[in-house]
Amino acid sequence: MAAVGKQVKQLMEKTGNFFKIYKQHGGVIGNFLQIYRTDELKLGNEVGQDKYGNKYYENNMYFYGRNRWVQYSPGVNMDYDGSQIPAEWHRWMHYITDKPPTEAPPVDRKWIIDHTENLSASDKAYVPFSTTKPKIESWVPPQVAKK
Amino acid sequence: MLRLWPLRRVFNPSTIASLARANSTGAPEPVEVFVDDRPVLVEPGTTVLQACSMAGVEIPRYCYHDRLSIAGNCRMCLVEVERSPKPVASCAMPVMKGMKIKTDSPKTRLAREGVMEFLLMNHPLDCPICDQGGECDLQDQSMAFGSDRSRFTDNAFTGKRAVEDKNVGPLIKTVMTRCIHCTRCIRFASEVAGVDDLGTTGRGGDMQVGTYVEKMFNSELSGNVIDLCPVGALTSKPYAFTSRPWETRKIESIDVMDAVGSNIVVSTRTGEVMRILPRMNDDINEEWISDKTRFAYDGLKRQRLTSPMVKNAEGQLINCDWEEAFFSVAEKLLGSGGSIAGIVGGQVDAESLTAFKDLMNRLGCETLCTEEIFPMDGAGTDLRSNYLLNTGIAGVEEADVLLFVGTNPRYEAPLLNARARKSWLHNDLQVAVVGSPVDLTYDYEHLGDSTKVLEELANGTHPFSKVLNEAKRPMVVVGSSALQRSDGAAVHSAVTSIAQKARSTSGAGEDWKVLNVLQRVASQVAALDLGYEAGVGSIRKNPPNILFLLGADEGTISREDLPKDAFVIYQGHHGDQGASMADVILPGAAYTEKDGTYVNMEGRAQKTQLAVTPPGIARTDWKILRALSEILGKTLPYESLKEVRHRMTEIAPNLTRYNDVEEANYFKQSNELSKGVKSQLANEPLSPPQQNLSDFYMTDPISRASSTMAKCVQASQAESKH
Repeated sequence: MAAVGKQVKQLMEKTGNFFKIYKQHGGVIGNFLQIYRTDELKLGNEVGQDKYGNKYYENNMYFYGRNRWVQYSPGVNMDYDGSQIPAEWHRWMHYITDKPPTEAPPVDRKWIIDHTENLSASDKAYVPFSTTKPKIESWVPPQVAKK
Repeated sequence: MLRLWPLRRVFNPSTIASLARANSTGAPEPVEVFVDDRPVLVEPGTTVLQACSMAGVEIPRYCYHDRLSIAGNCRMCLVEVERSPKPVASCAMPVMKGMKIKTDSPKTRLAREGVMEFLLMNHPLDCPICDQGGECDLQDQSMAFGSDRSRFTDNAFTGKRAVEDKNVGPLIKTVMTRCIHCTRCIRFASEVAGVDDLGTTGRGGDMQVGTYVEKMFNSELSGNVIDLCPVGALTSKPYAFTSRPWETRKIESIDVMDAVGSNIVVSTRTGEVMRILPRMNDDINEEWISDKTRFAYDGLKRQRLTSPMVKNAEGQLINCDWEEAFFSVAEKLLGSGGSIAGIVGGQVDAESLTAFKDLMNRLGCETLCTEEIFPMDGAGTDLRSNYLLNTGIAGVEEADVLLFVGTNPRYEAPLLNARARKSWLHNDLQVAVVGSPVDLTYDYEHLGDSTKVLEELANGTHPFSKVLNEAKRPMVVVGSSALQRSDGAAVHSAVTSIAQKARSTSGAGEDWKVLNVLQRVASQVAALDLGYEAGVGSIRKNPPNILFLLGADEGTISREDLPKDAFVIYQGHHGDQGASMADVILPGAAYTEKDGTYVNMEGRAQKTQLAVTPPGIARTDWKILRALSEILGKTLPYESLKEVRHRMTEIAPNLTRYNDVEEANYFKQSNELSKGVKSQLANEPLSPPQQNLSDFYMTDPISRASSTMAKCVQASQAESKH
């Protein structure tokens, strides 16, 4: 009997979690979009949000390595990428620190440059300049003096 | 080279031959020889080596070359001959009746192995860094005929023979340690090029090939010694260490640096022209090409037009796309009210000339000119025989008297001059020149540079007229520069009557042509065949509002000749004079980048082939014109190369009869018409524009862009100061 009671208790808990998750992601549309974007529904506490609109969650019910995650800003839609996480959150996400930047904000130094995502495969991608001579040298028309 | 011509006259080959076969009639009886027991019938006097090649056996050789005299010093062609005590040098040995030649006997093989061993003993083992690698006769023949093991024991290296390198100018790189003393370069220089610059000093192991004192190899044909050198002693300086022969694609094409139309092979790798080599054609260039043909290819990579350009509000040419360029051209052309003119340059192919003429005619423009002037009085360009080298380039070898008028063939058509020299050496050709006394590499009678001489020759009062009238096969060659003077028509009519007189007294048949015009640019004959007007006189008289330049870079019309608001369109491949004065630039293709037709000075149509694609977004010229015609709403009725060539055939059928010389024989009519020419001979002396070697190198947009050619000009100027 006790086993049956345990199963019923587990079922109640799972059902409760299901409804919590359902609620956290905001109804039918919200859940659908979440599964469409990440193939996964997770329950967790929001730890904070960065300036790009990415939300960070933690739930220690999941095992180490899956207990911290990010919900990318809806602005990027399907073009989310790990490099969109700024440095201060990167430390927390990768367990370099226990405290999120909301609790221990990083020291703002004047030499720190702004975060950029990885621009590979975009038109802003870094291309090193060529060090070889071009095979064909184009004619440069004579410059007209500006009036 | 010493020409023993008085002796030659005495021991005339025909007299000797007639003595030798006094008891026989007709052709000499062929001799039967046996090559490896196979019987071959050959003419008496052929060498053993030639007899073997007739039997299909190639004898290895270094010093022997078809077109040079026989030296017989490399000993590689040793073969065993039955009943001969020693192996004989087959290149120098004439055949004898019943000779039994053994080309693959143990004795022959041993002899070859021995020669290879001696050659390699003093030849450096630097094949991996040698530019001849892959096309080296020594490499190939040591593989095929050398010993399979070495007896070379000098591993401690007390030293092989070493020779200091020579500096012979900016074109030829020398590594004299590699030299095997075949003396091909020396014989080429003295026999074909006609400059006795190269020679040997010392004997035996101390022998050296060189220029005695350090000097430039002062010839317009110098590059050919690179091909002749069987090892890597003489290699190309601009090509040094750039590519290997097995890496390159070889495309057979035609040269357009002059009007000779030399056949060439364009070697390319990764979309880049690596070098240009000659291709054999006995009717045109034999197997030589001039230095401009061979070395100006680096001009194809500099100063190129790679993108269309239009002028912005400030008058600065700015890169743009094809659409923008086409629309700005179309807007002007359609709003012009018919005041349009076109000039075509010297390197335009016949396809583009056809498309250009069709397009301009559709726009109501009839003023289509070439840059090169040709007198239009008398028969003008209506009779094709008036502007061709009618005798043909190979015809020089049949002539016995040759008169050059106002031309320097050595620099205007180096290979024609090489033919004349060959004929002078071997056939006793008698040459005379009216014009500046230039160095033609052979002796000639200088008749003076005044136009009076022409008059006297035409009247028959000049002493040389007698020679000309007695000639059996006379030839008169007038340079195109002489016809571009103000009295060009009078020069042409004088030359026509000289030629006609010489022809009537010569007794040669109707098919022997005397009058020849030496054109200097590759496109001129095709342009005149297609009905272009020669010279820009009518543009000067009637300045148009819109000027379309198709590869015209000689600056015959400048901005000053045009109305102030004139619009100039330039289509071509190099940023030169034409592009500098243009409002819109349409980038075209150079001769290595398109399938084009060129007609050479003797009227022979030949095809170039696409070796590399045009750079950037440049396009083939006729395609540009076809696209433009569509935007103008006057679409040209051809879409493929085949259809363009079909159209060419409609206008001038000879343009697509490739490799054939079309008959042109209207000298009598031309002579009659030329009598109506009213203009008088002027007093200025006849002097061709290219007098010295330094004038030869840069004559067109490609060679002007070439830094190799610039170095040549500098070097030859410095050389002439010494």
